[in-house]
This record gives sequence, structure tokens and C-alpha cells, in this order.
Amino acid sequence: MTRATIAMPETFSSPFIVITGLHKKLGSQEILRGIDLTVFKGETLMLIGPSGEGKTVLMKHIIGLMSPDKGDVLVDGIKVNGLKEREMAPVRRKMGMLFQGGALFDSLTVEGNVAFPLFESGLRDFNEIRRRVREALEVVDLDEHGQKLPVNLSGGMRKRAGIARAIVSQAQCILYDEPNSGLDPIVADVIDQMILRLQKRFGITSIVVTHDMKSVFKIANRVAFLKRGIIHFLGTPDELRQSPDKEVQDFIEGRSETTC
Amino acid sequence: MDILRLPGHLFLNFLSYMGQLAALLGDMAGSLRAGGFRPRLIAHQIVAIGYGSQTVVIVTGAFTGAVFTAQTYFKFKDFGVESSVGALVAVSMCRELAPVLTGLMVAGRVGASMAADIGTMKVTEQIDALRAMGVHPVDYLVMPRFIAMLISMPLLIAESITFGLFASFLVAVYGFGVPKPWFWTHVFDHTDQTDLYCGLIKGFVFGILITIISCHQGLVTQNGAVGVGLGTTRAVVFSSLALLIVNFFLSILLNYFFPLGSGI
Repeated sequence: MTRATIAMPETFSSPFIVITGLHKKLGSQEILRGIDLTVFKGETLMLIGPSGEGKTVLMKHIIGLMSPDKGDVLVDGIKVNGLKEREMAPVRRKMGMLFQGGALFDSLTVEGNVAFPLFESGLRDFNEIRRRVREALEVVDLDEHGQKLPVNLSGGMRKRAGIARAIVSQAQCILYDEPNSGLDPIVADVIDQMILRLQKRFGITSIVVTHDMKSVFKIANRVAFLKRGIIHFLGTPDELRQSPDKEVQDFIEGRSETTC
Repeated sequence: MDILRLPGHLFLNFLSYMGQLAALLGDMAGSLRAGGFRPRLIAHQIVAIGYGSQTVVIVTGAFTGAVFTAQTYFKFKDFGVESSVGALVAVSMCRELAPVLTGLMVAGRVGASMAADIGTMKVTEQIDALRAMGVHPVDYLVMPRFIAMLISMPLLIAESITFGLFASFLVAVYGFGVPKPWFWTHVFDHTDQTDLYCGLIKGFVFGILITIISCHQGLVTQNGAVGVGLGTTRAVVFSSLALLIVNFFLSILLNYFFPLGSGI
């Protein structure tokens, strides 16, 4: 049995994130129209779907950066929506997030950025901070670039530094917003291997928004296909591959309806 | 019909804006209650606000003192009281010119920088990243700037008064030949510490206004680079207008507690 065919919920039975009836409107556009989704502790769930269908919006609800118009988001048993900003901090520290553009702090070096969550979580042992920063930077192959400012990094390097910052605090759950976009295939594979390794070694739950189907079939335990504001398909990568749904198959194969 | 609706629309916008500023003040009070000051960030901001504003504050203070001395001298000479020029310049610098002109300069230089820095962080998701790491943006971005401004602004105003008065002395004594002892006698006879208090209190209030208005503009920035530009412009315009309007009411209020000439 390959990793991708591990079935749910037999292997991962303890829910970490429970989303029920999630609705969100941005302006006049209804982005999420009733999302029901459970993410289990230790699993890697890949969120796929056409651009602009609300994958990032859904992810931002999980970490409390957006609040739903209707519905609930529970993280480790705590209802996130309705919490005040300050009350949210302990929940957020259970998670790490990689943003699409990296979202590195311009005023800090790469090392400063990666050390930031450790320092903010109250760690003051500078030797320990240095060791963990070095380890995180080695994982993303940026240990030679720790003293650089984000402005001096390429797009791919910024993304890798963002990944180092997301994983350094060894949170229980890491949210990745398109970790492979803009990276060359080798580095993209390094990132995939890293997500697998974090799952294997530390049992970290991962939610990955991606358009990279190769990555989906390589590392996902389950795949959620988001379309028209709902979870259109939810299952293992094998179930996804064998799905008779035309929209799912068109997306996997990258087929558009436009003909020349 | 639209013209009739416009005043109501503007009034509602104004109320909404005041509500947002009040909410930011509430968050700042929450930040004070939560504690956890960041001395390194405060020190960094003091350098940016205080040290970084030296040139504009010194030049503004000195040349305001110089030109005010010259204009006053030309008129006072007609009445034969040109030796009193120092008294008028000292009181004006302490109570009005130094606080208002320094405030406007700081609003332009520091207010714009605050709005642009925070606005850029907002549109590049850096503020979301802060929040995702459990850090309240007001704790990390607004409070260090606020505390640094409260420390820097009165000092900058004191510096502006000093340079204004020194420039006035140079122009009056070495430019127009006012006897040196007369210049200082008039200055010390007609000014006292209450004039200085007025200037420093105004600096304190202007610092609060500039920081809250500018940081708010940064925090509500939208629409990428265009939004950052708009927020920066608004920060400078709103801060300057608020400063000039509040200055009028503050002058009346301060004159109630520290009447002009009370210390003479």
C-alpha cells in the first residue's frame, strides 16, 4: 500500500479541524457556500480546485484570519470563529502557515524571519533558537542565505524561507498555500519530501493548497476538490484518479473545454 | 437628490472613520493591558522618528525663528521697541510656532512613513503572517511607534524652540544690532516655564494624533501599490488637518490653565 492510498478514517481517526456549514461572501460574490470538512490529526489533506474558488479563503478561516458569515470552524476542539484576536493566539500557535508570496518581513533577515515565531512563542534560549533556525533553513536548502534580506532573494527562495518559518516552531498543523508554485521541479520535490518527513517524524497535520497534481498523488492522504464554493469531491488520491466525475477528471488532466 | 444626500453621506463617513479610530484606540488600550513592551522596537522607532527628524526640525525651527525675528523687528522698529523682539519670538515659538510647524513636519515625514510601512505590510500579507503567528498587529506595529512618538515629539519641539530662539538671537543681535543684554532680558522677563509646558503638551497631543491617524491608514490599506499611495497621502493630509484644528482648541484650553503672561 502506498502512502497515497492510506484510507480515512481508519489510519487517522482523531479529528483536528472540523468545519461545518461554512459560508463566506466577499463583496457580492459568494465564495464559500456551505463547506463541511474534517481534517484528522497527522494526515496530509490536499485542497485542489480551479483558481478563485476559495481554497485560500477556506485556509484563512481555519487559522482565523477570516471569520465566516455562517458556520463553524473548530481547531483541536476550540471554536475559532467568534474568538477575539487576542484569544486566538494560543490556537494559532498550534499551527504554522505558508503564504502564497512567502509574506516574509522585509525588515528582518531570513534568519530573523525564521526565528520570529520561536521568539514570539516565548523561547529565549538563543542557542536553541539558532539551532532550530539552522535546521529549518537546511531543510529548505537556504542555510547559506540566512543573512540575506528578503529583497535579495528570488521568488522561489522567498517561498522556501516562508516554509522554513512555517515549520520551525514544530506546530501541530501546517497550512501551505501553494508551496510548489514558482519552484523548479527538484525543489518542489524537496518540499514534498519535507511534508512527508514532517508527517512521518512528528505526526504533523498538513493542509496543502496546490495545483500540482504530481504532488497530490505523491504526498496526499486525502484530496478535497473545491468547486463553486463547496467540496465537490473528497477522497483518497486513488479514488480521485478513478472518479467518474467529468469535472474532476478534466481538472486532473488539465483539460479545458475550449477547442482550437 | 444626490446633492441633498451628500452632507448626510459625508457625515456618516466621518462617524464611521471616528469609530474606526476609536476601535484602534481600544486595541491600543488592550495592548497596554496585555503588557509585553518591545524595547528594541521602541528604540528602533525612536531612532527613526527622533534622530531621523533632526534635519527638518532644526532647519524649520531655526529659520522660523529667524524670519519671525526679522519681520517682527521691521514693525517693532516703527514703534521704537525693537529690543523686545526676543520676547515675542520666544513666546510664539514656545506656544505656537515650534509645536505646530514641528508637528506638520513630523506628520509629513514620519506619518507618511508609518502609513507606507504598515500599508505595504498589509498588502503583502505580512500583517496576516503576524496574526497567523499569534502576534497582534497593534502590539507589534502600532504600540512601539506610539510610545516612541510620545517620547520623541516633546523633545523635538524643545529642540525646535531652542534652535528658533538661538536663530532669533543671531538675527536680532548680529543682524540688526539689538543689544545682547536687552534681547535676553526681554526673553526671560516675558516667558516662563508655562509657555514651555504649552509647547510640550501640544507636542504630546500632536504625537498621539499623528501616530493613530497614520497607523490606522496603514492598517486599512487595500488594493496594492495604489492603495499604499492613497493611504500615505491620506495619513499626511488627515494628520495635518487634525493637528491644525486640534491646535486651535488646545490653545484655548491651555490658555485657561496656563494664561499667557501668567508667569510674568
